[in-house]
Formats: sequence, C-alpha cells, structure tokens
Amino acid sequence: MTKNDPIIVASDLTIAYELHRERKKLVALQDISLAVDPGEFVVLVGPSGCGKTSFINAISGLVPKASGSVTVRGSEVTGPGPDRAMVFQDYALLPWRTVESNVRMPFEFQDLGISEAEKNKRVKECLELVDLTGFEKSFPYELSGGMKQRVGIARALITNPDILLADEPFAAIDAMTREAMQAEMERIVMETGQTCVFITHSIDEAILLGDRVIVISYRPGKIKEVVNVNFPRPRMSNSAVKTSKEYAELRDHIWNLVKDEASQTNRGE
Amino acid sequence: MAATKNKSLQQFDTDDPNRIQDIGWTFKEVWRRTRGTVVVSINLITFFILWELVVIYGDINPLFLPKASEMFAELWVGLTTRAPEGAVFSGSILDHFLHSFNNLMFGLAIACLIGIPGGLLMGGNKYIESILSPYVWALASLPRIALVPLFILFLGFTTKMQVTIIVISAVFPIMINSWAGVKTTEKSLLAAARVFGANRVQLYVKVVLPYTLPFIISGIQQGIGRGLIGVVIAELFGGSSGLGYLIQRSADTFNTAMTFAVLLLLIVMSLSLINFTRWLEAYVAPWRNVNHI
Ligand SMILES: Nc1ncnc2c1ncn2[C@@H]1O[C@H](COP(=O)(O)OP(=O)(O)O)[C@@H](O)[C@H]1O
Ligand SMILES: [Mg+2]
Repeated sequence: MTKNDPIIVASDLTIAYELHRERKKLVALQDISLAVDPGEFVVLVGPSGCGKTSFINAISGLVPKASGSVTVRGSEVTGPGPDRAMVFQDYALLPWRTVESNVRMPFEFQDLGISEAEKNKRVKECLELVDLTGFEKSFPYELSGGMKQRVGIARALITNPDILLADEPFAAIDAMTREAMQAEMERIVMETGQTCVFITHSIDEAILLGDRVIVISYRPGKIKEVVNVNFPRPRMSNSAVKTSKEYAELRDHIWNLVKDEASQTNRGE
Repeated sequence: MAATKNKSLQQFDTDDPNRIQDIGWTFKEVWRRTRGTVVVSINLITFFILWELVVIYGDINPLFLPKASEMFAELWVGLTTRAPEGAVFSGSILDHFLHSFNNLMFGLAIACLIGIPGGLLMGGNKYIESILSPYVWALASLPRIALVPLFILFLGFTTKMQVTIIVISAVFPIMINSWAGVKTTEKSLLAAARVFGANRVQLYVKVVLPYTLPFIISGIQQGIGRGLIGVVIAELFGGSSGLGYLIQRSADTFNTAMTFAVLLLLIVMSLSLINFTRWLEAYVAPWRNVNHI
C-alpha cells in the first residue's frame, strides 16, 4: 500500500434488509463502487430513503453487506474500528451522561495510550471547537437539537480519527450556526488531512464542502452520477465561490439530478 | 486547534453568567412547591372529619365502621407500645408492623437478587431467554395466591413460608421489567458505542445496564405492590404475627378500630414505598420525564 492508494474502496457493494414478517429482502443499495482517496471529502446526496445512511454504516461496519466488499486501507470491513468515527443522524448520545462524559466516551473504549491530562485537554479543545464550553455538565435532554448534534461532532473528533463519517450532521442546526460549523468542518479537514464521507440534504453544503458529490438514485440506491467540485479551499470564507458562475451551474446540475429522483419518490416508484 | 477557533461562532456565546439565575424564595415559589401537599392535606382532613361526623350522626353500628378518631387513637397506642417480654400474642401494631415490614424487605431483596440478574441474562442471551421464558410467563401469569396452600404444605406456618410467598409475588415484575429494559435498549445508542470501540462487555456495562436501570426500578415498584399483597395473604392464611394476622384477629374480636388502623397503616406503607421508588426513578433517569417535542 502506498500513501496515495484509496483509503476506502467499495466494490459492487450491495446492502439488503430483511423485511419484517415477510420472506423477502429489500435491496437498499445496489452495486455501489467507489474509491475514496486519503484526505478526500466525499459528499453523498440523494432522496430520503435511497440508502445513504446504509452506505456509511457499511463503511463503519455497523451493517453487514449482502454482497460485494468494502475495504478500509486494503482490509475488509467486518466491524467498527478506531480508524473510523461517526456523527449520527439521530445524535445517539447517552442520556445518562453529561456532555463532557459523552464526548469522552471514545477514550473509555479505545486504548490510545495517551495520558489522562492529554485526554482532558482534548475534551476541552473539542468542546470549545463546537462552542459548547460552559455546557460540560449539562445532560443531553437539556440541550437543543443543534447543540446535541454538536456534542456528537465533538465526540467524533476527539480521537482524531483518520476517517470521519457524518450522517446529516448539520441538518438540525440553525442556518447561522450551520455556516459557522461548515467553515469549522472545512478547516478541521484541511488541517488534519482527515478523510470524510458526509451525507447532506443541502446541495449548497454538498458543493461547499465536497471534493466530489455522489448523487445516489432511489430504490434501489445506485450511483447516478459523480460530480467533481474543483473550487480552491478554503471555500467557506471565500465569498467569490458562492457567487461564481460555475457554482450556479454545478448547483443547477446537481439539483436537476436530485429532483429527478425525488419526483420518482413522490410517484411512489 | 482551539487557538484558531472560528470567530463567527463567538456571536453565539453561550456561557453568559446570567443564563443561570437563582429562583429565590418568593411567596409564589413557596406556594408552587407546596401547593400539592397543602391540597392533599386539606382534602384528607376534610375526609376524616366527614367520616367522624357520619359515624356520630349517621347512627352507624361502630362494629362496622369505627369513628375516625378511634381509629387514630388505636393506631397511636398500637404504634407506641410494645408487647411485654415473653407475651404469647402481641396486641402491639408496631410489633406486627415490624414483622411484616422486615419480611417484605427481606423478600424484596431476594426477589431483586433473583429477578434482576435473571431478567438481564434473559435480555442479553437469546438461548437463556428461550429456555427460561416459558417458565417465567407461566409462573407470572398464574395468580400467586393459588400457590399459597402449596407453600403452607411445604413449609408450614413459618416465616420462611411468608417470605417465599413475597418472593414469588415480587420476583416476576422485577424480572420481566429488567428483561424488557435490555430488549428495548435504543439501537442507536448501541451503534454509537460500537462505533467508538465498545466490546460486548462494555456495551453491556456502559449502555445496556444504565439504560435498563429505570426499568429495574419500576419493576421493583410493581414488585412492592405485589409483595405487599403477598405479605398480607401469607399472614391471613397462617401464622401468628404480622399485619395480615392482626387484621384477621382484630376483626374476629370485633375490634374494628384496630382493623381500620392496620388498613390505614398498610396504605401509608405502600404509598411511601411506591413514592420512594418513583422519586428514585426520576432521580436516576431525569431524561425520561422531559416532554421535549
Ligand atoms: N434496519 C432496517 N431494516 C429494514 N429496512 C431498513 C433498515 N434501515 C434502512 N432500511 C431501508 O433501507 C432504505 C435505505 O435507508 P437509509 O440508508 O436509511 O436511507 P437514507 O439515509 O438515504 O435516507 C430505506 O428504504 C429504508 O426503509
Ligand atoms: Mg439517513
């Protein structure tokens, strides 16, 4: 393996779920082939229910594959590993733990050989990063949806994982905070060289953050098109990006792709 | 990383010292916190006064319904005197109460020792679950009173028999609740713990157990209710001590004031224990009582 080989490789990946009370399987994702390079930021877009969550769950090792393969650094994914962290769509915070204790959780389960002082420092940094300083002792039920999601983000970043999987992390966050979080996300990824697979419903977010935008079709989920985004980084702080002609064209293009799929959803196909 | 923190986030600065304010002790606040108790007290006092008046002016046979004041007098005397050393029978409510209460606590402790691990094991392992669940459901659905004659046959009119009946009454709600807690542990919490590296033991100890704790407590709460029924039944059937026995004997000797006093004591004991577990449940799992939309 050399440094520039793809870090995540999915080949002919198919994911199926058994249907309740029926001897049938629902194919959520079919024959997905995708290679993600180290440090690349890949964004998945597609209509609700097309299998985006299933795809990153296959990378994280939470969902078994029906056929095909997913490899991370050349070895087959059989379960979760410390090289991959995840931000969950439904937050998945432990309700009996404080914000701080939730963020610290990965340290309890992974032996990274770092000192207690170092861990405390990381927790503090990550909470500051997501602007939750002062809420260390709060419980998740005392927070708004956006704040909970920021706890989830801090928890995913705490161990500095090579691969960050994010399932609509900013969906519940208000527009202004979201913009700040997007900028933060871009900065973190640029700084740490993390590889990121990111799901969003927002086409703007996809273009602003992604090196590549993967449009997934509806039922069964297949890759409809891969759109390359070549704006120089950092993009968030560069207002010229959003006003450029290429941006508008890309946006229209992706919007049309997704709209086709979404309208099929409405027809119930 | 923190040093280059994005400036635009600063406008949402959240640790404003004014965010947490003292509520203080205004009259309104005191009333808000005590009104429940005040209303209940007035309600109960009215109830007992009406009771007293109905008996005095209603020409009711005191054998059927004693005056409320007589009941309280009996309760007071019964709780403040003990039987003399070496007495065969005790007329002291306190003696019988302690007997019943100790049995109940002992029985509940054993029921927890069996029910909690049993339920956790059944929830955690599907083989154990499929082996044990038919028996658990069978015994849980059987009215426990039906077993009393059998236990009397096995164990005689002993404290052991009484405790056994309490255990068999209380163990199933505790077991079934613990089991249900494990089974309903939110999948996304398990997924998150797995993603961040938890092994099977850690999943169980750090996710499933805390999630199940409030379920266990509400199981114990139901167990207390069932256990109390068990206490009284066991003592009504046989034995020469306990509140159940005292109810029986006072009724036999036409001392209805005593009967009512014991009934009142049972109600108070049951409500206190159940409210304690409610409080405990709310204390360990505050997130369950939040009505977030
Ligand atoms: N655990 C599951 N059991 C059965 N079907 C599932 C399960 N998870 C997802 N699905 C189905 O798989 C499809 C894709 O789901 P998902 O990956 O969550 O889509 P997305 O994240 O794009 O909205 C949906 O049709 C959904 O109903
Ligand atoms: Mg999803």
